[in-house]
Amino acid sequence: MEERLKTFLQLVKILLGIILLQCVNLQVFHFSYYRRMSNQNCIRTIDLGIPRGKILDRNGRILAEDRTCFNLVYVPYDIKNSREVATTLSDIFGLDPNELLKQFDKPSSNPFERRILKRNLTQSEIATVSEYAFKLPGVFVQAGLDRQYTLKEGTCHVLGYIGEINQDELDAMKDEGLKPGHYIGRYGIEKQYDDFLRGKSGGYQIEVDAHGHQRKILREIAMIPGNNIVLTLDQSVQEACINALENRHGSIVVMDPRNGEILALVSNPSFDPSNVAKYLKPPYSERTPFLNRVIAGQYAPGSIFKIITEIAALETGEIGEHDRIECTGSMEVGDKIFHCWKEEGHGWLDINMALPFSCNIFFGTVGAKIGVEKILEYAKLFDFGKQTGIDLPGEKSGNLPSPDESGGAINLAIGQGALTVTPLQLCVMISSIANGGNLWRPYLVKKILAPDGKVIKEFQPFVKKTIFISDETLTVLKRGLRNVVRFGTGAGANVSGIEIAGKTGTAQIAQRELGLPTRGAFACYAPADSPNIAMVVFLDEGSSAQAARIAGSIIKKIYTSEETQSETTISETQEVQFLPSGSEGFE
Amino acid sequence: MENKNNPGRILLTVSFILTALGILLLFSASKGITAVQTGIPVYIKQIIWSFFGILLFSWLKEFDYRHWNKLAHILYFVCLILLLVVLAVGTGRAGRWIKIGWFNFQPSEFTKFVLIIVLARYFSLRDIGRFSTLLGGMIITGILFLLVLLQPNLGTAFLFIVIFFAMAYLEGAKRKHLLILIVIGILISPFLWMGLKDYQKQRLTVFLNPWKDPLGKGYNILQSKITIGSGGIVGKGFLRGTQTKLAFLPEFHTDFIFCLLAEEFGLAGVVALLFLYYVFLTQIWKISMTTQDPFGRLVGIGMMVMFLTQIFVNIGMACGLLPVAGIPLPFLSYGGSALFVCFISLATIYNLHRNTALF
Repeated sequence: MEERLKTFLQLVKILLGIILLQCVNLQVFHFSYYRRMSNQNCIRTIDLGIPRGKILDRNGRILAEDRTCFNLVYVPYDIKNSREVATTLSDIFGLDPNELLKQFDKPSSNPFERRILKRNLTQSEIATVSEYAFKLPGVFVQAGLDRQYTLKEGTCHVLGYIGEINQDELDAMKDEGLKPGHYIGRYGIEKQYDDFLRGKSGGYQIEVDAHGHQRKILREIAMIPGNNIVLTLDQSVQEACINALENRHGSIVVMDPRNGEILALVSNPSFDPSNVAKYLKPPYSERTPFLNRVIAGQYAPGSIFKIITEIAALETGEIGEHDRIECTGSMEVGDKIFHCWKEEGHGWLDINMALPFSCNIFFGTVGAKIGVEKILEYAKLFDFGKQTGIDLPGEKSGNLPSPDESGGAINLAIGQGALTVTPLQLCVMISSIANGGNLWRPYLVKKILAPDGKVIKEFQPFVKKTIFISDETLTVLKRGLRNVVRFGTGAGANVSGIEIAGKTGTAQIAQRELGLPTRGAFACYAPADSPNIAMVVFLDEGSSAQAARIAGSIIKKIYTSEETQSETTISETQEVQFLPSGSEGFE
Repeated sequence: MENKNNPGRILLTVSFILTALGILLLFSASKGITAVQTGIPVYIKQIIWSFFGILLFSWLKEFDYRHWNKLAHILYFVCLILLLVVLAVGTGRAGRWIKIGWFNFQPSEFTKFVLIIVLARYFSLRDIGRFSTLLGGMIITGILFLLVLLQPNLGTAFLFIVIFFAMAYLEGAKRKHLLILIVIGILISPFLWMGLKDYQKQRLTVFLNPWKDPLGKGYNILQSKITIGSGGIVGKGFLRGTQTKLAFLPEFHTDFIFCLLAEEFGLAGVVALLFLYYVFLTQIWKISMTTQDPFGRLVGIGMMVMFLTQIFVNIGMACGLLPVAGIPLPFLSYGGSALFVCFISLATIYNLHRNTALF
């Protein structure tokens, strides 16, 4: 008994010793771990998001900027009764409670961090949330940033949009301070210049109690604003293009032929950059709103390609300025009959008249004379089949076919072969005619400014190559292009007071056979003698004459001419071009 | 008696230091709690309890411990009644309190003291070497155990069993007999398990792997470990604890008061506390060893076992070594009932020492 009592004293020592050892274990050996855990427990970080720089037009008008908004956020750690919270939230916002539950219960690396549940709450939604706050522990309304686009859909293909970062991107960009819920550029300029536009996220470190309610702010981390980007784009030109295109599907690109600056870039159908999700689903998605037709739409150039054929013809000397060919309305090649768009024929004409009237027989005959290889050589000279190098993501290069796959000299010569181009490539091409042979690299960003206004980067015009075209050829060509608008197929573009030169084209003529609408296009520059504007208009559905009229109206607006648009001499000209009677024949 | 190193004096000094430390910790904690407190801050209440506790002590230290022997039957009966009342009308988190005015009376706390008195009397009157004596003691304990378990107050119920076995063992019960009782207990336990409330089952299972669900059921264990561990060697400093202040631990002013100490005073504070408890326990041990009266010795042993078990279970729980059982830390934990029982026990031991010294 005495013995047992003595042993008991040993037991006291052992038990207290066990406690001591465990405390040493916790407080010494695992101290840093538990200290970190302790800090995480009561410290919540409130992330206010990544601020982005403004996007300005060439005159400093704001095209995109951040505005303060209010978001619904939650702290996974603080949501103790996820079912009840999910039910309450679904009642308020009509969100799917199962989706919410899934989100709440998703294991997270840092359950103490606020996550965005719903962006851009309305005033009434904010009121409702605060009304039900007692039923929503762990759910808060928090200030955030909302990207606003002045012209909304109007600049969506230029500016693009921003979207929440995904896991793959997070892994790739983890050194840049990005966290789940942060937005990065997804498309357009927002994507292309994301590194410059994106600032550093700011927020608060707050101390909270067990219910997740803020007790005090421990630290404040100021946001670091992103850089501002000044575009070459001109808001008024852009707006003129938007208004002129109306809701037709198609695209317009306006460029300064003296330096490659893009003044306007419009593609329709468009999407709302603030509500991208809606356009990713049918029926909107079926109209390919995310296709930037200017840089990624690839079309047969149609008669616009006759410019290249004419240069090739004159430069190679296969035909002289005054050599005449008779157009009877059709021609036979082997066992196939080709038609001119003008059934009764143009009669005898030389190249000076063939271009304004876009005679298929003339250019088809010339094309056959020059040969496929030579035409493709000239096409290559103008960088068809190559990306223009514009500073936008997703540019397509079009198709510069091999001679065997080109569809034959005649089809190729009139732009109906296998060769496809983007509207931007045509714009660069017509610009080079306008400026006498300089192939500019088109660009959208003029300069990048630090938040304090200091210039970080300035982009200079860049001539990719200078194509040698003889003065004689150029004179003939330019006169022809001017005449297209004066009295030819592009007369719809005629604007009094401004001399416009251009060329019409109707792409994918085969569509007509299928009963589909034609794809009308117009490439032009103005003023004809000292061009400072080059433009390409492409219509998914419509005639080239319509395209010409749209171009004319835009140019008129640009020069704010007060005179009314002159009456067109040839109305609703329909170009009907070479059509292989048996399409397999030219393969 | 006049000797400065006499156990009684040391016992008193240590328990007053502990009480003061408890108030200090509760004061620190009060800087944080918002939801729990209504009206009077917890530390003020504890000061009031301490005042009454000391009053109770100064009256009971003159109360001959042998009177408790005579009162044993009545005390046991009163306890049974109170525990039945608690089961009928109990309030509070686990339904273990009787609300009398603004005093939440907790019968299970007093039952610990009463059980020690009753067992001390019982064992002192019978031959501990006989199995029937042990069986009788087991039944005495078992009735209280079941009533407290049903509240449900797993920790205190467990404490009763420990007190019974330890008193029996230290008084000289045969190992074989005790083993038979343990086997019987193990055979009964599945039925007890089925009788447990879900939250108690969960507490026991989650104890095995609290990391599996750090935000749910393992919350208490995890948080208390974080709180202790984050204190480090020197602690975060008085009033500078973050964990306990922010109400991360439920019941931290009662069950998890140790965390507060460990967080704010670190390992240094833990060592100091353990030293105080060690001194406290050894003084009771000394008193128990020197007393010639079997009842007195059994009371002393019982008190020692009670205090040691409470200390070990409470801190062991906070450290993540034992399940979250809801046993107060002697003199430190907030609560009138617990503090009163501590002071009544202290007075009894003090009186025992006085009587022993007088012999």
